[in-house]
Amino acid sequence: MFHQPMTFEHALDLRSELGTDATVINGGTDVVVAMNHGAIKPTTFIDVSRIKALRGIEKQNGHLIMGAGVTFADLGKMHFRALREASLSVGGPAIRNMGTIGGNIATASPAGDGCVALLAMNAEVQLSSKARGDRWMPLVDYFIDYRKTALADDELIKAVRVHNNPRSRWYKIGKRGAVNISLVCCAISQNENNKTELAFGCVGPIPKVAPKASALLTGETLTPELIDDVANLVTHEVAPIDDQRGTATYRRAMCSTLTKRLLTQLMEDAPKGDADA
Amino acid sequence: MIQQVTTTESDQTLDAPIAPADHLVGKSCRRVDGQEKVTGAALYGADLFPNSAELFASVVRSEHAHANIVSIDATQALEVAGILGVYTHADVGGTNIHGLIRRDHPALASKRVRYFGDSIAVVVAKTERAAKLGRDKVAVTYEPLPVIATMEQAIAEGACKLYPEGNVMGDKRIRKGDVERALADSHVVVSDTFFTQTVDHAFLDIEAGTGHWDGQVLTLYVAGQWVHEERRLIALALGLPVEQIRIIQPVTGGAFGGREDISIQIYLGLAALKHQGKTIALRYTRSESMRARHKRHALKIESTFGANADGMLTAAKIVVYSDEGAYASTGIAVMRKAASHATGPYCVPNVEVDVYGVHTNNNPTGAMRGFGACQMAIAYEGMMDRVARALDMDRETFRRKNLIQSGDTVTTGQRIDPVSVGLCLTKAIQKFKDQPYPGSDHLPAHIKRGWGMSAICFGLGYGDGFPDCSRARVELSDSGIATVYTGGVEVGQGLLNAMMQIAGEELGLPFESMRIVAADTELTDESGSSSATRQTYFTGNAVRMAASELREQVLDIAGIKLKVHPHEITLQHGWAYETSNSNNRVRMEKICTEGLTRGYSLKATALFKPRTIVEIPNTGQSPRAFITYLFGAHVSQVLVNIETGEVKVERHIAAHDVGKAVNPQSVEGQIVGGVAQGLGMALMEEVTYRDGRIMNPGLTDYIIPTIKDLPPVEAIIVEHDDPGGPFGAHGVGEPPLIGAVPAILSAIYDATGKAPCELPMSPERTWRLINEVCENDPLSKVF
Ligand SMILES: Cc1cc2nc3c(=O)[nH]c(=O)nc-3n(C[C@H](O)[C@H](O)[C@H](O)COP(=O)(O)OP(=O)(O)OC[C@H]3O[C@@H](n4cnc5c(N)ncnc54)[C@H](O)[C@@H]3O)c2cc1C
Repeated sequence: MFHQPMTFEHALDLRSELGTDATVINGGTDVVVAMNHGAIKPTTFIDVSRIKALRGIEKQNGHLIMGAGVTFADLGKMHFRALREASLSVGGPAIRNMGTIGGNIATASPAGDGCVALLAMNAEVQLSSKARGDRWMPLVDYFIDYRKTALADDELIKAVRVHNNPRSRWYKIGKRGAVNISLVCCAISQNENNKTELAFGCVGPIPKVAPKASALLTGETLTPELIDDVANLVTHEVAPIDDQRGTATYRRAMCSTLTKRLLTQLMEDAPKGDADA
Repeated sequence: MIQQVTTTESDQTLDAPIAPADHLVGKSCRRVDGQEKVTGAALYGADLFPNSAELFASVVRSEHAHANIVSIDATQALEVAGILGVYTHADVGGTNIHGLIRRDHPALASKRVRYFGDSIAVVVAKTERAAKLGRDKVAVTYEPLPVIATMEQAIAEGACKLYPEGNVMGDKRIRKGDVERALADSHVVVSDTFFTQTVDHAFLDIEAGTGHWDGQVLTLYVAGQWVHEERRLIALALGLPVEQIRIIQPVTGGAFGGREDISIQIYLGLAALKHQGKTIALRYTRSESMRARHKRHALKIESTFGANADGMLTAAKIVVYSDEGAYASTGIAVMRKAASHATGPYCVPNVEVDVYGVHTNNNPTGAMRGFGACQMAIAYEGMMDRVARALDMDRETFRRKNLIQSGDTVTTGQRIDPVSVGLCLTKAIQKFKDQPYPGSDHLPAHIKRGWGMSAICFGLGYGDGFPDCSRARVELSDSGIATVYTGGVEVGQGLLNAMMQIAGEELGLPFESMRIVAADTELTDESGSSSATRQTYFTGNAVRMAASELREQVLDIAGIKLKVHPHEITLQHGWAYETSNSNNRVRMEKICTEGLTRGYSLKATALFKPRTIVEIPNTGQSPRAFITYLFGAHVSQVLVNIETGEVKVERHIAAHDVGKAVNPQSVEGQIVGGVAQGLGMALMEEVTYRDGRIMNPGLTDYIIPTIKDLPPVEAIIVEHDDPGGPFGAHGVGEPPLIGAVPAILSAIYDATGKAPCELPMSPERTWRLINEVCENDPLSKVF
């Protein structure tokens, strides 16, 4: 059965009715791959890609709110630097045209580039159900364990929001120039109060923040010494593993390298004002 | 496969002047198979399914890298709805064995499996889904044996033996001069060890095809690289006379050596024989394709080179260990090619090479573009950079001092003339220096730019005394259309066009008057394999010889019509005319109709079979190990991020002497493609195993380059007539890949000051090299 609701309310109805019996699908760039590999064998779908309300991007009270169905191609045109660059690093043009930010968050892969950029920007995610309505929660609380999230069986992701436009930087190391799965990626953002957040991809079971490093940075002006300290500290905050893509040794070292590089960029670019907008 | 140029209405009325001489050789005639490929009309193996498949087959594969088979139980599989049969070794009528050089690979394993992709049974069902369900229900009981995962394990004392003779499959050696003494007397002696990785062909057109048995003939539509040899192997395995097997090559999307070994042919044949009158279809998924197919050999190359103070090479001592995987495949020939190319296009007076092939429980390793010569170029070019540095000498100057010149000998003792490697190097470097890269010179401190070079040679054909030959037939019809018949397979490289252009050139016909029939064992004669960069040279020569024979008939008939001596006639653009009076002329159609009424056959066949000479086993010396040698030189420029190890190739120049470019656009295509594949090998491609199981059997984690990784490749076509080739042509298939890899590594060396010796130079490996990090080294898991 392939349900194709045109409204979010209808989708929530179906979701509460069918629960885990139905597979939610949007761009399908994760779902179809999993089907091909035989990892999932869905029989019923709720296709949310026709719901216009999920595809909007709007500004509201200093927040930027992005519908769950916003594609990486859309995000690639935005002013939020880390998110834009992360989005443009996803797959190739075809994947960016189909893949959505909601799908990326729902999949919750430790290599999810969108997740990492949003985490560093202190994003919040909005989950909705027919029974309990909408709830906003910090994205950092949403990721629980490997591919385990706070999303309940009757819920859908409705939107994700970021406060203001923090200064942000992004870097992803992969093995090639496109359709490039992260070996390690790092995002950093700094808001107007000098609150700085760091997030990493592929360094543990979930997209990972580095709270101790953030704490060390909070309220401080960036200096080379401080940056070195933070770059050292992050290696203790991440827990990468060896896999056939790369070793823990390399990934850990790269967390430090990227932290240093991105923070240095923020520091050096500071006088240039909102050059990163 | 039959291909014909779509004819446009002829503008050649009787009074019109004859079109100017249209030399087909040297012209980028549009690909005869181009339109159907770009429009999607071409039928590749899997495209045959919708119209013809009646039943589907699927293959049961080993779940162990090394085990004895205790029992095979199909009871449950046969209960699956739609299953029509499960066939094992007991159902195979012939030897049940294949293998291009050694017959050692069971089509369906009976007693023992030696790698994770070994096949055990073939399931036939009404639908593809049922066939796969049935496949998963075949219960095989194994008695696991110790898995030999690395070469080191294979040669360790007391190691479990894959074969009664042990795990060393064979060896090859070169002995020339007195290496120990020359090294002792050298001014510098440099040693290093290179590790090249296991590489997959990753052609896009995954193995797929159909088989049909009508009670008389088994017809297989399966892409291979040498349909006539495949027919012999299938016949032996299935116990059929070759006459009862017909192989027709469907349109094929890439091969790169990956279709040289038998793939799905025997399974399809077996299934078809069991289901007379039904067309059986079988296709792999990408992961099954990677799991089943042979790979490029991973080599460990221990190199020591010596040079005197003037920068002349004195000696080379090279020991190579080659991971042969579970079965021989073409490994013996790859080892020999590795040995004979161990010192590349350099004069080295004293040489000692030992190549050992070692069996493991990894996938069999065999043919892939470069065929052993590719790995050796990584080592010898790497050594040229190292020795130059040890001598504090410029890399180019050092190479030039030692490159062979026309009349010099390579390491096998074969004298080569002409030699154009120096010319290729000059052209590549000139282009690099004269047209500087437009990129910015202001690089951040963590980005380093470097450039490197390579100079390579490649012995064309099978060589070494193997009876390498091609046959061809050319026919003219009464409408003046010439048809070329060749057993050679078009795998994307442009063979069809090359053969049509050669025949057309010889017959003075426009490309529109050409037709070709290729790779159908019923309709065409044997033309050897599309491998070893040999088709342009071998089949090209056979086609030219046949066309030339046919030309004599045409001239003879034209002479009668024009009332002049045949020697005074010119064939041009579909006309024959008196050379000194072009008004006295006749069209090809007329000549052909006249000829047929006069009893001319208008057909000619030819065999091209030049001899090579088998090497002396203990020394590897042979005055003619290969029929001819090809040369090339590359320059590559890279950016290296020294903090992360990421490498970006900014610019790549490739100069290749192709003798004569029959179709320059195709030649350029081969060069660009070879560089792309070489870039993949240099920087990203790597099959990773854990205990014999491939950890990345798909294009998600087997990383091949994208358009974003490839700089615009600057191809330089050098044309230095090959006296033995058709119109001076020889070939271009493999050398571009061989040249690309060492040039990129040389550039990384230049950028970082550290000499790479492990492949691929992924970000992590490059970072480890720069920072000298050995802890938790991924390499330790492979070698
Ligand atoms: C070739 C290729 C390259 C890729 N490259 C990258 C890359 O570089 N970086 C990267 O991060 N990812 C990459 N991906 C993964 C994928 O594109 C992203 O994760 C994408 O964001 C998924 O979005 P989608 O809309 O296609 O999700 P779908 O496949 O439709 O769904 C993914 C998951 O999300 C759930 N879902 C979708 N929408 C909702 C919703 N509104 N509410 C609740 N659950 C929902 C689905 O049930 C499913 O579990 C790649 C994929 C492919 C095939």
